Amino acid sequence: MSEIFFIGALPGWVILLIALAILTLLVSQFRALRQRLGARKCWALTVLRGLVYASLVFFLLSPGLITKRVIKLRRSLAVVIDASQSMALPATSDGGQNRDRSPSRIDLVKQKLLEGKVPLIQRLAQHYDLQLYQFHSDLEALPPQSLPQLRPQGRDTRLFEALREAGQRAGPRSGILLFSDGIADGRSTYLEKGVSLPVPVFAVGVGETRGYTDLRIADLRVPDFAFRGREFKFDFSIQAFGLAGKTVPLYFNRGKNLVLSRTIAIDRDPFETRVSLSYTPREVGPHSFALSVPAQPGEEIAQNNHKDFKIGVQRDKIRVLTLSGSPSWNYRFLRLALKQDPSIDLVSFVFLRTPTDSVDVPDNQLSLIPFPIDEIFLEELKNFDVLIFDNFSHRSYFNIVYLEKVRDFVREGGGLAMLGGTRSFESGGYAESPLTEVLPVEMEGKGGYETDTQLRAALTPAGKAHPITRLLSDPGANEEAWKKLPPLTTLNRVGRAKGETLVLASDGARGTAPLLAVGRFEKGRSLAFMSDDLWRWNFIALGEKESPQNHLKLVRQAVRWLAQEPSFEQVQIGAIGGTRNPGEKMDLKVRVFKDDFTPAPNATVRLRAVGPEGEEIPLDAMPEPAAGEFSAPFTPAKEGSYHVEAEAYLGGRLLGKARKNFLVAPPFEEEADGRPRPELLRQIAATSRGEFIPISSWSDKSLESMATQLERLAPSEIVEQRQIQVWNTLWAFSLILALLASEWWLRRKWGLI
Amino acid sequence: MNRRDFIRILSCALLGASGLAPRKATASHPRERGRPAQFVFAQIRYRGGDWNPHPLAVTPLMEELMLRTSVEAHTARHEIRITDPDLFSYPLLYLTGKYDFEPFTQEEIEILGRFLSYGGFLLADDALGQPGYGFDRSLRRELKRIFPDKELSRVPAGHAALKSYYLLRTVGGMRMVHPYLEGIQVGSATPVIYCKNDLGGAWERDPLGNWTNACTPGGEEQRRDAFHLGINLILYAMTENYKEDLIHVPFIRKRLTR
Repeated sequence: MSEIFFIGALPGWVILLIALAILTLLVSQFRALRQRLGARKCWALTVLRGLVYASLVFFLLSPGLITKRVIKLRRSLAVVIDASQSMALPATSDGGQNRDRSPSRIDLVKQKLLEGKVPLIQRLAQHYDLQLYQFHSDLEALPPQSLPQLRPQGRDTRLFEALREAGQRAGPRSGILLFSDGIADGRSTYLEKGVSLPVPVFAVGVGETRGYTDLRIADLRVPDFAFRGREFKFDFSIQAFGLAGKTVPLYFNRGKNLVLSRTIAIDRDPFETRVSLSYTPREVGPHSFALSVPAQPGEEIAQNNHKDFKIGVQRDKIRVLTLSGSPSWNYRFLRLALKQDPSIDLVSFVFLRTPTDSVDVPDNQLSLIPFPIDEIFLEELKNFDVLIFDNFSHRSYFNIVYLEKVRDFVREGGGLAMLGGTRSFESGGYAESPLTEVLPVEMEGKGGYETDTQLRAALTPAGKAHPITRLLSDPGANEEAWKKLPPLTTLNRVGRAKGETLVLASDGARGTAPLLAVGRFEKGRSLAFMSDDLWRWNFIALGEKESPQNHLKLVRQAVRWLAQEPSFEQVQIGAIGGTRNPGEKMDLKVRVFKDDFTPAPNATVRLRAVGPEGEEIPLDAMPEPAAGEFSAPFTPAKEGSYHVEAEAYLGGRLLGKARKNFLVAPPFEEEADGRPRPELLRQIAATSRGEFIPISSWSDKSLESMATQLERLAPSEIVEQRQIQVWNTLWAFSLILALLASEWWLRRKWGLI
Repeated sequence: MNRRDFIRILSCALLGASGLAPRKATASHPRERGRPAQFVFAQIRYRGGDWNPHPLAVTPLMEELMLRTSVEAHTARHEIRITDPDLFSYPLLYLTGKYDFEPFTQEEIEILGRFLSYGGFLLADDALGQPGYGFDRSLRRELKRIFPDKELSRVPAGHAALKSYYLLRTVGGMRMVHPYLEGIQVGSATPVIYCKNDLGGAWERDPLGNWTNACTPGGEEQRRDAFHLGINLILYAMTENYKEDLIHVPFIRKRLTR
């Protein structure tokens, strides 16, 4: 098939003028010849000349020749099979009647592709350049011979990403034949944002929504953490399919203990209701909760009837209880320091009156309230983080048995501070009390309360680096600040410190004595300040035009240390943010400090992870370049709740322990909702100009329809076209020459030349 | 036992007085001898006017304080000038007088400003009882210099100072000029409280244990109220808003509504 065309196109009127000129010339020539020759000879010569002129005009228009040839191309087709876990679910739902007999969704796909006289996969291969893929988190080429062994094991379905990649690999004019149930995660926003797929997708929907039966807890939203004593709320959805008319109980458990139950009436199909619950944790630490609804007959997935979650409960404020033996300036400024700190919740009891004091009015004219001894020591003490005995002696108020509760409070993790005064330490009768076991100083019966002294505070080496006594970050400036503190006028003499002495009191003449000492006793901590003149570091310093901030800071740091604020721990595990994916490598960091809170680079760190089933995984903590820092790589393999435990030793002595929890879970739960999503597949097909075909409707016509659709969108036949220029060829020149030569020959013959 | 103690015991025996006097006409409180004092009542000595209208007022109050409460106090007052380097050792200051006094120096104003802004407490007591004259006029002038942007205002009935120990519904004193207190509020605290009823006059007793001044018009009940107020103000200075802590609220509310 050829076509002629003209390159040097002249305007029509020019061609017309040339034609008229040629015609005039030929008429004139004919008339001139007619006078000498007969009519036939005249016509012969004129025609020859006319052909020459026509040829010249023809070639003047630069004629060319186009030759066309039709070629048919072989089209690529990517067959993409969803191999995620949801494809293991039954392909058909009949309320669980024939659950065991129903093939899985992946089996149905394999049947469709591999079974029959001429299997579909073969027919596709005949018509297309076939590319076979499986996908879940990534797209992977699947050798056709491996198709029978394909197992749905993927933990997620990155459908959009897989389709884009398959389309790019298949190239232009290709198509994608997708087999999926439509349960997908990944960047589903592609559809919402109108991101188009490169080639048409013919989505074959696997699985049936009709008859699907499931009850599930979904879309659980819980806070990352909660505060002790404060209600936290969480909410979730109960979804039900094929269960209209039923009533199911919902259980909320903490650990194994039932917290509450509620009845859910399923009044429609599909059913969804949002449930909001709350809980007030009473203790600090990780709390495990579970939500569950009983499995119903015929349910496709029973695993999604249960949802575990974990919340770390923190203290919102450090709760401090102070017991003051009497109103005093020490109490006044202690209260000032604690009340002004928004992170401290202070409850204080000041004994305004002793049992020997008499009053001149009835009790109802006094503002005194009874001291709730039993309530405080038997019930509420555990809810406080720090207990401060401020010049308080138990002797006048309660039995020594209650001090055993205080001792146990410390051993179990509480903080105890005893501040000096006439009612403290030995003067308060504590030398023979259970508190000797948890106070950081020894009371040998020789000590007493001294007044009218002029005591200067001096930091010990331990005190120079301890977080309680670090009033300024610069060590030199800190020491200077301590030297500038006003002298104290009272001292409770005690024996030697059992823990660390951080500050010594020095009066020059009588040497030094412990002024501030701290200690750790089992899980708890204690502090002893052997004077009731602590307030002088605030108000007297103010009078000396120094800052009262040193006193405020000292008090607040002491409270934080006693409350075991994480930043005051000697062993600290670095942050493990959020939920980790199974198989994701993480670096666990541990910081270790000596007793004086300088980094401990020579510490021995024992680190281990404990998996969801209690399995212990020892980890190698290696020193980092930064002094006192250690790290260990860890890759959690399983899903579930993990915790990391670190212990640090120095010279064989335990420096401290730390523990941190974290959760390992896949980002998407394939089997949380097994309902097929034909609507998503339909949407993908529509936006890519493909077609959605339920697998049950797949037939030979579907194959033809797909071919037609592909052909319509991108025809497979192409036309090859060649252009030949005619005017500048030798034969064109020869033709004109031949015509002129013929005319010359005839003229000569007829005697015109 | 010193001579003063002896005279007091003797006078007590002789007079056989009842109520406050017999009990208080004893020697220094026993606890003062046995236990170191936590509280010292410091009285400001200023220039001009009469800084000391009731020289014997403090000891009876301190004795009453120790008799009724757990506070260990010095029975003797401590006289102090504002520029004294030890001023900040006495977070409660008592300022009283009858007449106009000389303006404080700028240094004294600055010291008092710092003292009252960071935890100190000033109890002002007008011994003249003439609002707008004498001590009252001078005090208001100086307080305006210390707190230029604050005014003395009436202390509300539920204020922590009125329930820090006794649940007070009235304000005592030697005379009844106003049945209320005035104060200056700084944040949540009231570092200045001013009484115009001459509390010192009601507290004062001569060396023989007799009340120096009669309390009018309420008599001994009015005196008792003055002692109660004195104790409440000392405890308020040492505990600030302690009685406004949530744990106290239901108890106090219950008692006040009876």
